[in-house]
Amino acid sequence: MIQADLSVILPEIFLAVYAMAALLFAVYTGKDKLAKPLVYATALVMVVLAIYVGSSSTGTTEAFGGMFVNDAFARFAKVVILLSGAIVMVMGEDYMHRRGMLRFEYPILIALASVGMMMMVSAGDLMSLYMGLELQSLALYVVAAMRRDSVKSTEAGLKYFVLGALSSGLLLYGASLVYGFAGTTKFAGIITVAQHGEVSVGLLIGLVLLISGLAFKVSAVPFHMWTPDVYEGAPTPVTAFFATAPKVAAMGLFARVMHDAFGHAVSDWSQVIALLAVASMFLGAVAAIGQRDIKRLMAYSSIAHMGYALIGLAAGTEFGVEAMLVYMAIYVTMNIGTFAFILMMERDGKPITDINALNQFSKKEPGKALAMLVLLFSLAGVPPMLGFFGKFYVLRAAVDANMTWLAVAGVVASVIGAFYYLRIVFYMYFGKDGEEMQSRGSMLLNGLLAASAIAMVAGTFTTLGIENAAASAAATLVH
Amino acid sequence: MSLFLIAALPFLGAVFPALLIRAGRNAAASSAGFTTLLAFIGLMLHAPAVLRGEVIQASVDWLPGLGLNANFFLDGLGFLFATLILGIGLLIIIYARFYLTREDPMGQFYSYLLLFQGAMVGIVLSDNILMLLVFWELTSLSSFLLIGYWKHLPEGRQGARMALAVTGSGGLAMIGGMLILGNIAGSYDLTVILQHKEAIQASPLYLPALILILLGAFTKSAQFPFHFWLPHAMAAPTPVSAYLHSATMVKAGLFLMARMWPVLAGTPEWFYIVATTGLVTMVLGAVIALFKDDLKALLAFSTVSHLGLITMLLGFGTKIAAVAAVFHIINHATFKAALFMSAGIVDHEAHTRDIKRLGGLRHLMPITFTIVIIASLSMAGIPPLNGFLSKEMMLEEAYHTTWLGSHWVIPGLAVLAAVFSAAYSFRYIAHVFLGPKRDDYPTTPHDPPAGLWLAPAFLVLLVIFIGLNSNGVAGPLVSAAANAVIGDDLPYYSLKLWHGVTPALYMSAIAVIGGLLFLSQHKRLEAFWNALPRPEAKVIFEALVNGLVRAARAGSDALHNGAISRYAAIMIVFTTGLTYAAFRTGTLAAPTRSVQEAGVLPVIGWICLVVATLAVVMKHRNRLLALVLIGVVGLVVSLSFNYLSAPDLALTQISVEVVTIVLMLLALNFMPKDTPVETPLGKRLRDITISIFAGLGSGGLIYALMTRDFAAAPISEYHLANSYKGGGGTNVVNVILVDFRGFDTFGEIIVLGIAALVIFALTEAILGSRVRARLLNRKPDMPRAGDAHPLMMVVATRVMMPLALMVAAFIFFRGHNLPGGGFIAGLIAAIAVIMQYMASGFAWASERQRFFFHGIIGSGVLIAAATGMGAWFNGLPFLTSAFGYIDWPLLEEFEWATAALFDLGVFLAVVGAVMLALESLARFAWQPGMETEHAMDINPARDDVAEDEKEA
Repeated sequence: MIQADLSVILPEIFLAVYAMAALLFAVYTGKDKLAKPLVYATALVMVVLAIYVGSSSTGTTEAFGGMFVNDAFARFAKVVILLSGAIVMVMGEDYMHRRGMLRFEYPILIALASVGMMMMVSAGDLMSLYMGLELQSLALYVVAAMRRDSVKSTEAGLKYFVLGALSSGLLLYGASLVYGFAGTTKFAGIITVAQHGEVSVGLLIGLVLLISGLAFKVSAVPFHMWTPDVYEGAPTPVTAFFATAPKVAAMGLFARVMHDAFGHAVSDWSQVIALLAVASMFLGAVAAIGQRDIKRLMAYSSIAHMGYALIGLAAGTEFGVEAMLVYMAIYVTMNIGTFAFILMMERDGKPITDINALNQFSKKEPGKALAMLVLLFSLAGVPPMLGFFGKFYVLRAAVDANMTWLAVAGVVASVIGAFYYLRIVFYMYFGKDGEEMQSRGSMLLNGLLAASAIAMVAGTFTTLGIENAAASAAATLVH
Repeated sequence: MSLFLIAALPFLGAVFPALLIRAGRNAAASSAGFTTLLAFIGLMLHAPAVLRGEVIQASVDWLPGLGLNANFFLDGLGFLFATLILGIGLLIIIYARFYLTREDPMGQFYSYLLLFQGAMVGIVLSDNILMLLVFWELTSLSSFLLIGYWKHLPEGRQGARMALAVTGSGGLAMIGGMLILGNIAGSYDLTVILQHKEAIQASPLYLPALILILLGAFTKSAQFPFHFWLPHAMAAPTPVSAYLHSATMVKAGLFLMARMWPVLAGTPEWFYIVATTGLVTMVLGAVIALFKDDLKALLAFSTVSHLGLITMLLGFGTKIAAVAAVFHIINHATFKAALFMSAGIVDHEAHTRDIKRLGGLRHLMPITFTIVIIASLSMAGIPPLNGFLSKEMMLEEAYHTTWLGSHWVIPGLAVLAAVFSAAYSFRYIAHVFLGPKRDDYPTTPHDPPAGLWLAPAFLVLLVIFIGLNSNGVAGPLVSAAANAVIGDDLPYYSLKLWHGVTPALYMSAIAVIGGLLFLSQHKRLEAFWNALPRPEAKVIFEALVNGLVRAARAGSDALHNGAISRYAAIMIVFTTGLTYAAFRTGTLAAPTRSVQEAGVLPVIGWICLVVATLAVVMKHRNRLLALVLIGVVGLVVSLSFNYLSAPDLALTQISVEVVTIVLMLLALNFMPKDTPVETPLGKRLRDITISIFAGLGSGGLIYALMTRDFAAAPISEYHLANSYKGGGGTNVVNVILVDFRGFDTFGEIIVLGIAALVIFALTEAILGSRVRARLLNRKPDMPRAGDAHPLMMVVATRVMMPLALMVAAFIFFRGHNLPGGGFIAGLIAAIAVIMQYMASGFAWASERQRFFFHGIIGSGVLIAAATGMGAWFNGLPFLTSAFGYIDWPLLEEFEWATAALFDLGVFLAVVGAVMLALESLARFAWQPGMETEHAMDINPARDDVAEDEKEA
């Protein structure tokens, strides 16, 4: 019995045990001297696990009486989480090393956060949901405040922690209400109670509070307030991490709760999520316009992108979930490339984040400027870049679900949002002469930037080749 | 040739110029020309079939996940546009080879140009609207590169940016419209969508779809009020302007309107939006064009005007108007491309495009003059040139169209536009070429080499031929294209010069005469025009953009001001609102439980609780007072647990209360007495309001929850029934802790231990740093008690110690059946020890400490684990409890359960954890070798020493 359970949850256990073993090992041996090898070892473990998860099992298996579910949806999300986590971690290694920020705890915390994220997307119960969520959050709180000597970084970490605790409180309050009115914490049990049209007000309020808590994790407006501060305050590699894997995990968890537990009462939550989506898209688009700091700008950009992904969820259909998954995968790919570039930005060895530094960049580095042009167009959702197809997926999901107004709102927001992406392109190609910046790129960063840009173009023909996986993932989730 | 190849050829060819530029400019130009020629020939191979009315299709799987196929189709309309794009493209390539100078990077130019060409061909051949969108945005992007080609010119950069911002945004808006259309028709293939006219026009989403699609078309085709980008795009090299603004980019919007004409046109919405916009644009463009002194600006506004004309014709929604629109597209492309090229020649030769600095060129540039005169007259609508034919058709249609019940609005304004159109056309001839020769040209102009004038010359030949023999030259093309737009039953029309004396002829005559008149009065009109207040679109655009940017920045900075209290407030307000909305929409069954009578005692307790809570909020700046008040709250809560028959909870709560208050007191020792006031009154009022609402909301929620039965039977029934049977205890809470949920408890004591270790580790780190010195040297902000260890307290605690430990043991052993247990016992024991630390001092107490607290925690966890593993020997899962009964002689029957051993582990872990935390916090003030000096220090060791000394 327990053996069968453990075999289902094997990847998570392996990663957790690895993290703890690595922690002990590093503490008693080289400490920070081991940081660099640990980064690569952890990345290797995560990649191997991603391959294992992606290729090992098929079908749906449950463990611990349905508290932990391993299905196509969870596997899809896990592969994205593990791969992006590993790539982003390796990507930032050099940056942190050169600035003396690389500690051996960093890769271990990332690994633990990844365990939490894997748990989140596999949760089949409010308990395991909360466990995964907190494991991830606690690791992230620490990572956000990693640069202890920087006031900004610690402030960001503290803010994130306090607000995160508040959101956890909301989520728990919601979970206990759900338990009180459904009589069970298991998603499979809740869904039998939460039938369309007969959801009691207590359950409804519990649902709303759950949504509030989850919205914080995906940084949907108005629970997004921490995002710009944390993105700006945290070291850039950490920001890159925040922008990728945790977003996928939170979105995956969101979809899981909504469909697995409340899938028969779609109309009760789709309007709320649509509201969050619209607010996120517009605030993200408008607020980013005024930003000069590229990390803060990317924070608003990610808020807007979460809005689009939420459209897929708000549609409440199988295609909506598929669209959301495709969107998230594309979003992560774009962000990896963009952050690879941001990591390279520096002047006299110091990192810079001011977008004015990009003026006339195309003259100095035409190749990198071109890659960024492609990525920024893709982020803006301009055809024929891959980002457009992501947007098209979610918009179509909304239209198909008779939420045309939502799709139109999405289109309008994307028009507004295009402005600030294009402005960066304009700076790079036609900007005024000003203080120049250097771009110190390792082979790895350059390679990732190029690969991500190529994916944006090549995706026009294949959409990364993930739509089948996303479709089957969505099919297992939606009832 | 396959349609795929035709569309792909320019893209493939775009590589060559960039590579071949090293082999020379001719190689780059000819590679571009050759590719275009190849595509053109491929297109022409389809000509016979298309002109017969056949539709050629090609398709391949693209993104099956989205249900998309890469479909191309070629019908009359597509053929017409593809011919224009590739044909004029070829001419432009030849022209540009001679136009660009050695300094211009020509390889880049041809690459961009071919990219653009490919995108345009893609638009007109796409069957799938998604692909159309892709190509649509590609034209925006590649035109961005072309317009900004001369990077050294600031106008070029601004123009490129404006063009991209306007057309790119329009394209994005179009996505929405296309999605809606696709959803209504159930397919994203144009060929399918075009067959769903009724469904689309009946749909409630018709208007949003129409507006979104027209946004795309209007921005691309520079229709009012989006017309402003086009004149600024004139900063591009002239070949680019000639290509983009005569035949291609701006015509893409017209193409789209023509393409969608069968399903979208014919409704009042379509008529009033499209025809009105076209009309306004036509008049406005024509009027402005007359007063522009820059040759290219004149042509740019004339292009705007002609685009408006075609838009208006499409907007009429009648079949004959659509035919006229198609015909005018051909004619405009020919004469306007020729005119742009000629303007480029003038610029190239005279080094200025300023009309005020030109004049009398007819003697110096006879060939150019000939070309210009023919093309301009065609633009003015003079027979027998092709411009006359389509303008005549337009006027005829305008004459028959009523606008909001008025018969004269459209014809009147159309004539007005025609007058201005004729005037600026004549002006181009008169002010540039006629008049006296001047001697102050920047350089002496003369006719250019044949490479430059051949292309426009070819186009004016077309202008003449179409004019003279329209049926022969353009007839099949027009009918095929019109067929594609309006369907099979073409209305009767004839493309000929003489229709008899019709109203249109009168209007044409008025236009020509008026045009001449206006030209003769140009100076006065110009003075009048300059006196008028003219809103400069570019300035407005820039001001608008800058203002929006500033507003966005101010707004977002004001919202995200970094204050965590605001962030939390927003979250709470929103959540409260959502909860309220959920409350309003959901159904609430009637309460099933009655509310109990409130006795005097509970009411007093409740009042204490409320008063204490409110007082904490009011007085929280005084930290010590706040702590006392929190203690009151905790006490009332524990009492209420007791009152509500939960003695176990009450015991636990009160012991936890005591421990935490003591720990917090210790922590307070290192902190200032007061918290400073940081928030202004207004903010606090805001927070008070928010918290009142949120608090009442959650309170009401709990009330609602508690006045109703649970949805499912509570789990407590199971525990009550099985506690004695399965766990051997009658104290259900304790049995749950040590048996039913033993695994949880096991985890919890580990967490507790880790928490204590973390506190230890953190304080250890602080002890090693400079912080400790600061703490030690800190001047306390309140007077300290003179006697650190009051005698009374020392005596009392020492007397209490064995009693308290006895109580702990008692509580521990009774725990399984009566309120109590390891956790509570641990807390009580810890309190007993803490009291010693507090009364007698850290040094005194720690001297008497026998075991390290780390070890106590560890042994507790290990005992619990060992107990759990014991079950394995019986072949049972981890932590399965067992119990039995032993008969002690002389005593009662005694129950012996493994759970008690487990509880011992809990006890030890709790004692260790609490003590370790306390010790860590208290260590700050303690220095090695520090001893207490008070009288009650009855350290036996020291007393011995004193006696020894006495004896000695």
